[in-house]
Amino acid sequence: MKTLLLSFFLLFTLGVVQAQTHITGFIKTSKGKAVPNASISIKNSYDGASSDSIGHFDFTTTEKGKQVLVFSALNFDKDSLLVTIEGKLMNLNVLMKEVVNELEAVTISAGTYTTGDAKKGAVLSSIDIATLAGSRADVIAAMQTLPGAQAAGSESGLFVRGGTAAETKTYFDGMLVKSPFNATVPDQASRGRLSPFLFKGTSFSSGGYSAQYGQALSAALVLESTDLPEKTTTGITLLSVDGGVDQNIRFKNSAVILGGYYYNLAPAYSVFKQQQNSFIKAPEQLGGSFQYKAKTSASGMFKFYAAYGVSQLSLNSPNINVPASPGFFSNDNSNIYVNSTYKEYLNASWKLEAGFSYNRDQDKGLMVQDNYKRTDKLLEGRATITHYYGRLSNFKFGTETFNTGRAESLNTLNRSYTDQLSAAFAETDIFLSSKVVTRIGVRTEYSSYLNRYNVAPRLSLGYKTSAASQLSFAYGRFFQNPEDSYLIQKPLDYEQADHYILKYELNLADRLFRIEGYYKDYANLTKVNGTSLDNSGNGYARGFELFLKDKKTIPNGDFWISYSFLDSKRNFANYPVLATPAFAAKHTASIVAKQFIPSINSQIGATYVFASGRTYVNPNNPVYLGDKTKSSNNLSLSLSYLTHVFKQFTVLYLNASNVAGFKNIYGYQYSADGLNRRAIQPSSRRDLIIGLIMTIGDDTFVR
Amino acid sequence: MKNLTKTLTLALIAFSLNTFAQSATEKFQMGMKKGLEMLGSAKGTDGFTGTANYFERVAQAEAKEWTPFYYAAYSNLIAGLTTTDKAIKDQYLDKALAEVDQADGLSPNNSEIYALKGYVQYIKLSVDPQARLAMMGASAASLAKAKALNPENPRIYLISGQNTFYTPEAFGGGKAKAKAILETAAAKFAIFKPATPIEPNWGADQAKDLLAQIK
Repeated sequence: MKTLLLSFFLLFTLGVVQAQTHITGFIKTSKGKAVPNASISIKNSYDGASSDSIGHFDFTTTEKGKQVLVFSALNFDKDSLLVTIEGKLMNLNVLMKEVVNELEAVTISAGTYTTGDAKKGAVLSSIDIATLAGSRADVIAAMQTLPGAQAAGSESGLFVRGGTAAETKTYFDGMLVKSPFNATVPDQASRGRLSPFLFKGTSFSSGGYSAQYGQALSAALVLESTDLPEKTTTGITLLSVDGGVDQNIRFKNSAVILGGYYYNLAPAYSVFKQQQNSFIKAPEQLGGSFQYKAKTSASGMFKFYAAYGVSQLSLNSPNINVPASPGFFSNDNSNIYVNSTYKEYLNASWKLEAGFSYNRDQDKGLMVQDNYKRTDKLLEGRATITHYYGRLSNFKFGTETFNTGRAESLNTLNRSYTDQLSAAFAETDIFLSSKVVTRIGVRTEYSSYLNRYNVAPRLSLGYKTSAASQLSFAYGRFFQNPEDSYLIQKPLDYEQADHYILKYELNLADRLFRIEGYYKDYANLTKVNGTSLDNSGNGYARGFELFLKDKKTIPNGDFWISYSFLDSKRNFANYPVLATPAFAAKHTASIVAKQFIPSINSQIGATYVFASGRTYVNPNNPVYLGDKTKSSNNLSLSLSYLTHVFKQFTVLYLNASNVAGFKNIYGYQYSADGLNRRAIQPSSRRDLIIGLIMTIGDDTFVR
Repeated sequence: MKNLTKTLTLALIAFSLNTFAQSATEKFQMGMKKGLEMLGSAKGTDGFTGTANYFERVAQAEAKEWTPFYYAAYSNLIAGLTTTDKAIKDQYLDKALAEVDQADGLSPNNSEIYALKGYVQYIKLSVDPQARLAMMGASAASLAKAKALNPENPRIYLISGQNTFYTPEAFGGGKAKAKAILETAAAKFAIFKPATPIEPNWGADQAKDLLAQIK
């Protein structure tokens, strides 16, 4: 009995010993660095271990025979090994490869500033844009603090690297926006129409952009709209100049967003003296928008946005030739904008994007004694297919077509033109390794009105010089149709620009530094020779830019500094010779700082913008555009106080521009005889806006 | 002989536990129990990464169980919270979010899973509050869903109270506001009993600690 029991026991213990296999070893990188906290496991069993700080692991298993050993760790590629477990001690040395993840891989970034929430390489967040001192929550104004863009002046739009405002195009979810600005007032910059709260991300590209974007010689402002709102909420905005309400209604997989606003500058104009125009009717605007967004599947999204706005104003603008009889100007504007897009993954590696947009902008009124009317239209359809392959590489191709044109009348005279512009593009991002990427693209366009083709090649390279730094190069050829005001007179040829950009970037967790140099070569620019138009214009722009953003040095605060050096000359429009245009100040610098002060629940913001003198035409100077204004300075301050009103989250807001009262002059207008001149100045020397932004239905800050 | 019998009995018990008598569910229960013990004594990023790795092993072997994914997510969340390596913090949290979603796939409309999701989303926000303010809404939405699914789940109030505790007053948070929520949490913890020993039952001490910090 005893022997039997004993032998049974021995057998049993032997069995146990046999059933357990001891597996041990080290996990290292190919360079011999230990990989700590890695998981080692036998597939479909609980058995396994984690590696320690020297990459060592050690465990026992009861599994037998052929098994799959799986290795995984953050920042490393998952790997597996087929092993045969036979009960003998196993000693394994495993090599793991560091993962090529999107966050650390090299990027295509020459010329581009990305903004947005939690975006790779984002420079500014949506909040940065909305709370920027002096920007009045205008996307365009916020972009003017980035390198490459000229400081805000007496004209609407973004003037980038020696280019005119017409050379910068705005894209809303990939679709071209023909009239992104409010009605133009003589010698004043007007606001962008699109609210920054519509967008989750913005990419401002001052050159070398993708073949997806056409009809822009200088810059592309790419706006990406938000997805479904989280909750049903009501937002109320009351500013000293305007008021608005927006209602988010959230359903399970869709949402409706209704918005309405009204603004009237009359009260503000009665307080802040208008230096330029004497308003008879200060700008007044009324508008509304409707949005519908729906998740069509786990990866599909449908979006529809429609907005309608009307505005009115009338004024007397100074007449330098006959000061006693100022020029009367009135404007009634109406603008319809519709944008609808659909996005869906056909399978894991193919994505389809399609969209259409419609924009109609109409201005009419009286210019001195003449009735004018102008209608701009754009209807666009677009489809893009993207194929993802390898780890990060992709191939993209698409087509778009625009039906665009203008109709205008002056008293009884009428004229109009229509163009059907069709384009096709193909582009591929090839990651040769996690350190080297190249993007090769080409775009071709055909315009029915110009009756011509163009072919535009694009090339970008990125090379990662260290974990945090990168060197980038971009080349591209860009075409655009001449401006409507020329095309309505006669069909011309495409205007052309070539960009060459070299950039170095150092991107640390809380600090970002960039230096970028570029050369831009213009050809075929539209020129006015007496009364005839041709494409004999040309020009160049070259310069360098610096950008530094720091979130670390000051607790609860961050700041960024931009500097641009620009040397540009062009011979275009009515220029008699090659000259530096007014919109190409040699030095532009801005400093933007924000500081949150927890003890008073407030954020203080400051924006300082400097620009060296602008050129202007002095008929008494034989050198065309030979005179320069003094440099301009502007310091804006903002204060946002976060509180609760009736238990609803509320921001009280104060924004003062040009607090120091610098007397800035953008240029001079001379009388026909050259004896008198008047200064073109900002519409008012100082400006102050008080506001309240309230969110109902949520006691936290979500907008 | 007596000793031998004793040894033999013990050996037999061990034997039965190890092999034929061990049904699949028992193996799972034992495995989870072992994991929860590891979790109870885990310390620091390395410790919680270890438990995350362990629960991930259980999760891949038990294709139908949500709790291993839940605890793997929880472990990755704590590892992400405790790590000082900023570069890797988001990766822990992203992994936690992915595992929360996997748990949700196996057990849809589970209050515990949505409560944990709200926790991870808030911690994601705290990594870069200025750029990720929108995550505050996402976290609030997850917690609201957890509450709609089971208002008696004390962890909802703990997480919501904790989020409020660490949110500046200006952004709708503050200690005073957190107090009432945490008191609700403490009251719900006092009567809470998990359906099975392996379902979530953590947080009572955390609620007490936070309340102690307010007083």
